[in-house]
Amino acid sequence: MVFSTPVFLFFYLAAVLLIYYIAPLKWRNAVLLVFNLIFYGWGEPIYILIMFLSTAIDYTHGLMVEKAKTQGNDKKARWAVAQSVVFNLALLFFFKYWDFIAGSLAAIGLGFMPLLGLRLPIGISFYTFQTMSYTIDVYRGDAKAQRSVVNFGTFVTLFPQLIAGPIIKYKDLGDQIDHRDHSTEKFASGVQIFVVGMAKKVLLANNLGQLWDAYKAMPAESLTAGGAWLGVIAFALQLYFDFSGYSDMAVGLGRMLGFEFLPNFNYPYIAQSITDFWRRWHISLGTWFREYVYIPMGGNRVSQGRLFFNLIVVWGLTGIWHGASWNFLLWGLYFGVLLILEKGGLLKVLEKLPQAIRHIYTLFLVLVSWAIFAIEDFGHLGAYLKAMFGMGAGASSPVDGYYFLSYLPMLLIAAAACLPLAKTLWQKSGETARKVALPGLLMAGLVLCTAYLVDATYNPFLYFRF
Amino acid sequence: MSKKYSIFISALFCGFLGLFLVWHLILPDQTFSPNENRVLQSLPAPDFGSMAFFGKSGNFFNGAFMKDFEAYVNDQFPLRDKWIGLKAGAEKLSGKSENNGVYFGTDGRFLIAGYPAPDQAQVDKNLDYVAALGEKLQVPVYFSLIPGKSHVYQEYLPKGAPVGDQGAVLEQAAGTENVHWIGIDGKRYGDWDQALDYYTTDHHWTTRGAYNGYRALMEGMGLKGVELDGLTTVTEAFYGTTWSKAGAYWYSPDAMDIAVSDEDVTVTNFFDGTPTEGKLYNYDKLEQKDKYPFFLGGNQPLCIVNSEKPGAEGRLLVIRDSFSDTLAPFLTQNFAEVHYMDLRYYKASVAQYVEQNRIDRVLVLYSVDNFVNDSNLFVMGM
Repeated sequence: MVFSTPVFLFFYLAAVLLIYYIAPLKWRNAVLLVFNLIFYGWGEPIYILIMFLSTAIDYTHGLMVEKAKTQGNDKKARWAVAQSVVFNLALLFFFKYWDFIAGSLAAIGLGFMPLLGLRLPIGISFYTFQTMSYTIDVYRGDAKAQRSVVNFGTFVTLFPQLIAGPIIKYKDLGDQIDHRDHSTEKFASGVQIFVVGMAKKVLLANNLGQLWDAYKAMPAESLTAGGAWLGVIAFALQLYFDFSGYSDMAVGLGRMLGFEFLPNFNYPYIAQSITDFWRRWHISLGTWFREYVYIPMGGNRVSQGRLFFNLIVVWGLTGIWHGASWNFLLWGLYFGVLLILEKGGLLKVLEKLPQAIRHIYTLFLVLVSWAIFAIEDFGHLGAYLKAMFGMGAGASSPVDGYYFLSYLPMLLIAAAACLPLAKTLWQKSGETARKVALPGLLMAGLVLCTAYLVDATYNPFLYFRF
Repeated sequence: MSKKYSIFISALFCGFLGLFLVWHLILPDQTFSPNENRVLQSLPAPDFGSMAFFGKSGNFFNGAFMKDFEAYVNDQFPLRDKWIGLKAGAEKLSGKSENNGVYFGTDGRFLIAGYPAPDQAQVDKNLDYVAALGEKLQVPVYFSLIPGKSHVYQEYLPKGAPVGDQGAVLEQAAGTENVHWIGIDGKRYGDWDQALDYYTTDHHWTTRGAYNGYRALMEGMGLKGVELDGLTTVTEAFYGTTWSKAGAYWYSPDAMDIAVSDEDVTVTNFFDGTPTEGKLYNYDKLEQKDKYPFFLGGNQPLCIVNSEKPGAEGRLLVIRDSFSDTLAPFLTQNFAEVHYMDLRYYKASVAQYVEQNRIDRVLVLYSVDNFVNDSNLFVMGM
């Protein structure tokens, strides 16, 4: 199921909230577990089996790790961690990368792996990472093993963040699974964040997505420099509002159910360097790779050569995590190289430059990266990048003018929404003003989003492919 | 936020969800959406089958039930048309000059459906089928395409709007071999009255537009077109399909006119393949939202119009789309028998039909929009 459908909002969510709050406290995780499974199985019922399997394997391995540790048998504990990690990676590999590798091998004449053509289980990249973190956290002593299989199942399948993040580590959520507060204050703040997230997704991301679709589909011979930049800016805004909108909805839904998730975005487009950008974009993924890959590899307390190697490995993995396609690997490596350059001294140079230059530098590189991210076909990617750098069909065309004027108000609204402007204004306005404005804004958001949802067949979440 | 205020905000949100949930549950289901001209999804029943994920399971375990249920919630949503209208209004307000593929004409009157550049391979194929028909038949075959609003009203499109070039298709079609091409571009045949004319809220041509098309066709066939003798309005409340698609509820409806009397005319409909008595003008259709079937009665594989009007002679076969419905009254003035054949539904040999019914002229007449996308024209080669 996806958040941006009438069936989710008016049937599923309404039913979840009603039954969840009617149920006595000790039954709430069980209620949630059942609803989580309905949520996950809605599109592809058979893949519920993955949820059962994942829960069973990680649950038992968590207990095995803890038992081995209390017995002082570190080797056995490590063995159990390895088993669970291998299981999760195998799951991810099988469903997400098998066909990619088979196809790539076949392309160089090594077609021994059959193409399976399996449909990607929705959200598999997110939940395999979450369950993997569990046994590792238990081994490291950062979390206690979960005794209740219902509670553990609730963690694995928790619907607000099951299919598109944020990636929540067990150590951050374990205590809340066992015990969490439900207060109306928390619920009301969840409502606000949820509606903001939905408006980001439904009103901004979907709208600008249509602009990007127009440019993505445009044949190379009619792509102008102005058009290519307009298209990639539209994609940058679409991706940000789509994904951060989804994260906001997850955080909001979490709060309505008593959970507190860590934020996933922090105004990434105001970053002043690529290093800064990655502290602000998809924070939960960056943290995950840092804690479970980068630091175990030695982090930055190693020789410079080893450091660069570590960075390239981490960013190659980050890239390919985003999708089983070569352009995602290229995209990850692109950032790996930029981060190495920044660490190698560029950052110090940047600090001396005026702030405006730092913003332009960052946005320019990020926009180029989105072109690599968005276009899987290398031939078309090359043509698109060429157009961006002035080797396309001239500077601009009447069609560009049409799109620019049609979307100008939306682009301006979206650009303003990338800044902490609204937040500052909201906080600066008095308590009374906020109290008066909030109900109106909430209802306006809900009504407009409902109108777009009822109208739309156009609301696929971008991050579903990953 | 105080506790009291939090309760208020929470109640507002839950109330909104609850209101539409309850409304949806108690609202009687509609079976048909006149606005969208389609049957709506009804409440599906879950079939758990053998309670298994694999093999022959019911619609529940293979996910079909969920899909239908989702469509059901969307289709039966309370105030559905109002929500769609609200979205159209919001798009207009946000500076867009287009919604759901329909442009708001810059003159403020016309709604103009976009015309995406067609698949050239399909265009080539369809033109080849027309040429093949011309080669196969002994009787003269005339061929004409009716340009769409996005071509005729180009000046009303927003500047730079990405609309395909129908002129290129018309030019290519004019060179089709084995047939007599008749150009009915209003601009070229503007010596009588005026250019082609279309409904503001629908993609079809109006009665006046069809009249101009008729005159061009008659001239192309070497026949004499009858002068237009005034128009009689039959309804002023026609909201067309472009209006529905755009959700642009603030546009005014069109008037629908007739120009030719239906005296001395008999119509035989073949809705399901068997002949039934029909009418040239179906006044009962004016009671429904979709009023275009007023002419000839609506989509059908075959329709035969006999005329005993003075000067009506010969048998014409029209291979056509719905634009010919409006043309039919005018053709009763020149032909004793006109057979209207719609290849979306008629799937037998055209050549055989021509022979069996002693047809003496064939006219292939489509709107450009339909012609370039139709994948049924192979029937012409059969």
